[in-house]
Amino acid sequence: MIPSVLRRARWAALGAAALTLVAACGGSSSSGNGQVTFKGTKNVGISTALTGQSALYGHAIQQSLKMAEDEINKAGGVNGYKISVEVQDDGGAVDQAVNNVKQMILQDNVVALIGSVTSAQCAAESPVSKQNKTLYVAATCNSYQLTTQPALQNPYWISIVPNTFMEGCAAGTDAAKRGVNNIFVVSPDYLFGRSETNAFVACLKKGNPGVKIANDPSTWFVKYPHTDWSPEIAQIQAAKPSVVYSNIFAADQISFINKATQTDPQWFTKYPLTTLASVDELQTLKDKYPLGMRIYMRAPFFQLSNSRMDTFVNSYKTRYNEYPSDWAVMDYDAIKMWAQAANAAKSFDSDTVKKQIVGKSFDSLRGYKFTIRPEDQQANVGETIGTTVDSGGKYPFPILKDATNLNGNDLIMPLDLVKKLQGGQCKNDDFANCT
Amino acid sequence: MDPGKFLLFTMAGLSEAAFLFIVAAGLSLVFGALRVINMAHGSLYMVAAFVTAVVAAQMGAVVGFWSGLLAAVVVAGALGAVIEIVVLKRVYQAEHLYQLLGTYALTLIIAGGVRYFFGANFRTISPPDFLNGSVSLLGGSYSVYSFFMIGAALTIGGGLWLMLYRSPLGRNIRAAVSDPVLLNATGVNVSRLYTVVFMIGAILAGLGGVLVAPSQVVSLDMDTNVLVLAFAISVIGGLGSIVGSLVGALIVGLIESFGVSNHYTAHLSIAFVFIVMAVVLTVRPSGLFGRPEP
Repeated sequence: MIPSVLRRARWAALGAAALTLVAACGGSSSSGNGQVTFKGTKNVGISTALTGQSALYGHAIQQSLKMAEDEINKAGGVNGYKISVEVQDDGGAVDQAVNNVKQMILQDNVVALIGSVTSAQCAAESPVSKQNKTLYVAATCNSYQLTTQPALQNPYWISIVPNTFMEGCAAGTDAAKRGVNNIFVVSPDYLFGRSETNAFVACLKKGNPGVKIANDPSTWFVKYPHTDWSPEIAQIQAAKPSVVYSNIFAADQISFINKATQTDPQWFTKYPLTTLASVDELQTLKDKYPLGMRIYMRAPFFQLSNSRMDTFVNSYKTRYNEYPSDWAVMDYDAIKMWAQAANAAKSFDSDTVKKQIVGKSFDSLRGYKFTIRPEDQQANVGETIGTTVDSGGKYPFPILKDATNLNGNDLIMPLDLVKKLQGGQCKNDDFANCT
Repeated sequence: MDPGKFLLFTMAGLSEAAFLFIVAAGLSLVFGALRVINMAHGSLYMVAAFVTAVVAAQMGAVVGFWSGLLAAVVVAGALGAVIEIVVLKRVYQAEHLYQLLGTYALTLIIAGGVRYFFGANFRTISPPDFLNGSVSLLGGSYSVYSFFMIGAALTIGGGLWLMLYRSPLGRNIRAAVSDPVLLNATGVNVSRLYTVVFMIGAILAGLGGVLVAPSQVVSLDMDTNVLVLAFAISVIGGLGSIVGSLVGALIVGLIESFGVSNHYTAHLSIAFVFIVMAVVLTVRPSGLFGRPEP
């Protein structure tokens, strides 16, 4: 006869062994009260702008990633580990972004990185990610040079945001179709602004070779971030264009709209703007956001309604009392894609996880599956273009009319161009200058 | 350039010069009287802009801006007094390097404080309703608020001149610049006078922040942006000279405005500001209207 104490000890040992076995097999477990027990915690890092010009975007991205983190952990985490999203503020500063990323990789042992807001930070972070073999999923910064420029190529870089070629060309082609002429260009002077503007102008001229650009290319690009728009407002009035093209964003766009409207309440009737925009700018300016503007957006929830998106919007709105911006949508997709791939890989090793991403397709909030093509590890994600119109009380900000959700397959850069760019056959790494 | 375009760029330059003059005048006044280069001057400008934005949002469109202005001036002045009493009084006799380091430390502390109290997001406010219109001149549109900014700058500049040259306080300030020891011997409390001067400088920084808030976004990086230009203006015009600040602000505002209008100079407009500054420093180190240090 075995004493009861020993029996209990044997059962306890068996239980412990079973738990160890479950953990070794890679699964998380649930305790009796339904709580998930994890093997440990793995960090996913992001350096983003919680302050500064782009704080609006960083705010939405942080919220979205935290929401995704909770959902992933509620569903058992990744490979039995709890996921913790580590968010560090770079204030939009490149040096701070690089420091953040180095610290997150070397000290905090992040298993993957989600991309920063602007291409300036991303371009500086890419070599760090490459050197340390840390997977980097870009969901906001989007210059095509990040995946094609020989000096920037990084095998651990995945882009799930329409890049500057895709959206610049989408906007340029749209403007050409609409017969836009005598256009004034004003863009931020850094990699993104130059890359997207050049794509816009190239595709505009392709669609409408006779188009007149009202200002000299040397005046297209303005200091970024930009605080005082008085000189540019004067410049636009002096040039009297029929349309102004810009890809100024966040605080700069809001500041420009405010200043232009102060200068002339009819400003945007006289000089309609075609620009990159997101729900963040619409939500910030509300009914002060000008109507009749032709804007292009990366993932506006109100234009991409589907059951997953609607559930996401409801959860986000309930949790934060805000509507999710395009950045929130794309960053949510980014971390969900990574989690799915890491689970499929049963590993956190970047090379192993990457094999579950490149060439694979993923569901997205945007209502379609996107695929990461191997050549440049760019997703075939779409873009939405439309004209701002009052939402009729449905939302506290304008929405789009005459809107089109462009298919990513129609926008993505042709492979011959990708190869030329990657092979260094294009002057200034500009697709329009390839031989 | 036709008259319409000339007016457009001139007005753009003047409206920028307006708030820059107010900020630079405060910086210059403090240096002239206290011989302190206040790196935290931009921070006071930023604090005032945030206070204006917060108060304006609470009080509504009609009285919001004016309430914000009042609150911002009080906060900037009070903060200036605290800075002068707690920090600067201890470093007046020290080398300029200590003063620079002390006031630079304050910029970091204040930036953290602004983030803590007001949050990281930028804010926007509208001008008061009666200043929210626009006028047309020679084919161009101009915001009424731009005229208001220019008018406010001229009024503040005039008030400052009257205070310095037509009031007992101004007489004491000028006497303190010449010989603080002798002034102290006549019974004037120079220590308190320094506090008052620094408060006036802080209020000027605050007024600049209040005035600029409706025409730009109020954000955490506005302190450094304005400080760089205010220093350039003060160096060009001459540290310690109010007239120099006015001329310097006009030079900087107009260079920036006309600079971007021309494709030969568009890329260099901001560089021109510092080229002018370098030339002035080389040819006349005390600035166009400044007096050489004894």
